Amino acid sequence: MIGPLKLEAHMRKTLFVALAFMSLAFAGAQDHAGGHQPHSTKLPAMPPDMPRWISSPGSDHLFYKAGPYNWDIERIPAFARDMYGTGVGHAMAYEALVTGQQRNLETGVFEKINRVLQNPPRVPVDEAAISPTFVRKFGYLEKVFDWAHILHFQTIDVLMHPGWSDAQKEAEVDRLWTFYSGQPYAITGLPMNMEYLDSFPFSGRFRTNYPKVNGLFWGYHWLQTVNYDMLFRVPVKDQAPQYEVLGSQYRATELYRIRDFMPMTAELSPRFAKRFPQIANTFDNLHMLHDNVNDILAADELSDRQKREQVKIAIYRVLASSHKSHEPGSGEDVPGTLHDHRHPPSTPGMGYMKGMEDDIMYMSGMGWMDMSACGHCSIPLPDGPMWGATVTADGWTMMVRCLMCARDMAAETPGRAIIRAATEDPSRILVLISDEEGNLTSNIPGVVFLEEFGEHPECSTWSRAFTSKAAFDQFIKDHPDLAEAKPLELSAWAQINRGTPDTYRKLDRANPYRPESATGGTR
Amino acid sequence: MKIWNQVSKSIILVALVGTTGMASIASAHEADCPYCKLPVVQNTEDQDNEVVLKAGNKRIEYRCLYCVIKDQKRYKGDLVIYSPSEKVGEPVILKRTSGKWTAPEGAVFVNAFKKHPDCATFSRAFSNVAAFDAYIAKNPVEGAKALTLEQFLAEVAKN
Repeated sequence: MIGPLKLEAHMRKTLFVALAFMSLAFAGAQDHAGGHQPHSTKLPAMPPDMPRWISSPGSDHLFYKAGPYNWDIERIPAFARDMYGTGVGHAMAYEALVTGQQRNLETGVFEKINRVLQNPPRVPVDEAAISPTFVRKFGYLEKVFDWAHILHFQTIDVLMHPGWSDAQKEAEVDRLWTFYSGQPYAITGLPMNMEYLDSFPFSGRFRTNYPKVNGLFWGYHWLQTVNYDMLFRVPVKDQAPQYEVLGSQYRATELYRIRDFMPMTAELSPRFAKRFPQIANTFDNLHMLHDNVNDILAADELSDRQKREQVKIAIYRVLASSHKSHEPGSGEDVPGTLHDHRHPPSTPGMGYMKGMEDDIMYMSGMGWMDMSACGHCSIPLPDGPMWGATVTADGWTMMVRCLMCARDMAAETPGRAIIRAATEDPSRILVLISDEEGNLTSNIPGVVFLEEFGEHPECSTWSRAFTSKAAFDQFIKDHPDLAEAKPLELSAWAQINRGTPDTYRKLDRANPYRPESATGGTR
Repeated sequence: MKIWNQVSKSIILVALVGTTGMASIASAHEADCPYCKLPVVQNTEDQDNEVVLKAGNKRIEYRCLYCVIKDQKRYKGDLVIYSPSEKVGEPVILKRTSGKWTAPEGAVFVNAFKKHPDCATFSRAFSNVAAFDAYIAKNPVEGAKALTLEQFLAEVAKN
């Protein structure tokens, strides 16, 4: 039998060893080691400052900020229904995971979800009605999800509200952000290191074991992120025609695409993300929380208790309260950790991605790209009111320097495309929609183009769109070196094609998510 | 001055990228083949490989002739295919006019790939039979036959 003194020493040693392991595990969760993060082998430990509301049994129900814009998403019924459908899909998959139906996920559950997505509900559905077990077990998680989903829906409602100027809408979106951030369930608007958030022992489990259902999840995230540039500073009347293109793309292709990583807000709606970086980051952090939860629930080696703990820790990682006093751009001294809040210099609305170096990142299915440069000619993007254009096609969105780059980039991409471009009037954005054969329609009936082909670094000067012939004439008057330029109507301009610019440069590096594959490959 | 600053940034970035061991600036989008989803094999100094389809105002690259013929249904109007031949910069031009395909007189085709990753090598056009023979001598493959356009289209249709 052990004597009292030896027993005390034994207990002290045991306690010391336990504390040492806990410290190591907590350090793993904090992960101040820095650098690229291979999957760690230790489960993150419960942080000492977990907020108390996580253990509260109350429903703590919150709802929309009052406003005349609420439910304006219904102005595009197909868009509203597709967005309502995403909630149903999530709920069905989560309920299956917590009721022992994992083996049916890729078959029966996938088929059920897919039927709903192709015939989505006309009204938003209470997810608790579809996933009662999940909500009972993880009510604290639902508070965080619900609150962030409200931010999604209300920001959309504001941007779709008729009769308000862009300035009014943006001011209200800023107020929505304040309203959202004021609650304890708010997710941080700081950029977070995505590679770190995807580096735990269970990370990647869901997408590996259930690729089809994971494809649906990331498809919803595509819809939830691509829609913002469809709406941002776009007249209400010009929003629905774009959804006709995006909605078809979503239902036919994006729901079934197998990607390397989840879609990011700034990838798909760069202009919205630039104006509202905190909201873009919150959505990305929310979507990564979804991925973490999927992975935890799919990790069969974890007990129910461990799963509940790890879900709480996953929530903790992304809560705003966990990152108080931290600033965007900070974290150089703790790279690849919880408080690595670095972002690409040109894109404060995105956290650091795997393999990223400054503005150079890997976009799944696109290859390596420079976020600060034109996606077509590789010249840095212009600043100021003539911001160039974006091209949305084949499921991606790229920023380009000028209308020529936008037209030619869309022309080399199969399928329909949407071009959004600056005009001489900062309050009037040009929206061009292309069919399968590059025939364009314009939201500005009298649009006139300038294209006096010259040196590419100056393309944003000699390739422009104007809302009228008068505006074109005024520009030419102000730029006598372009005196010989003739205005081009839409149909004539659409037929021009300058091919691949000689300034275009492609980086030939391996896919960081699949180093064995070629640079492009499937998403 | 602003334009010079922007160009300077490009030059500096190229220099930085070079010193870190990257080949060049990462920027632009290169899509995979719209039909088979494999990367489009790029042209080299010695051989053209990119198959270019002109459909209305679009110019779409495909990995091989088989792929573009298979994918043609999505386009409603007339089409032109610039198919890489044995001569760099001198494609064999196929045209679909009111639904009917034509090719230059004397042009022949091969469609002999067993696995799709080989399609860029073995689904091609040549301006004449001698060019086909020379290519197959350098790139032997079982079952390679010099096909007329009609024979090529029939082979693609039955797969």
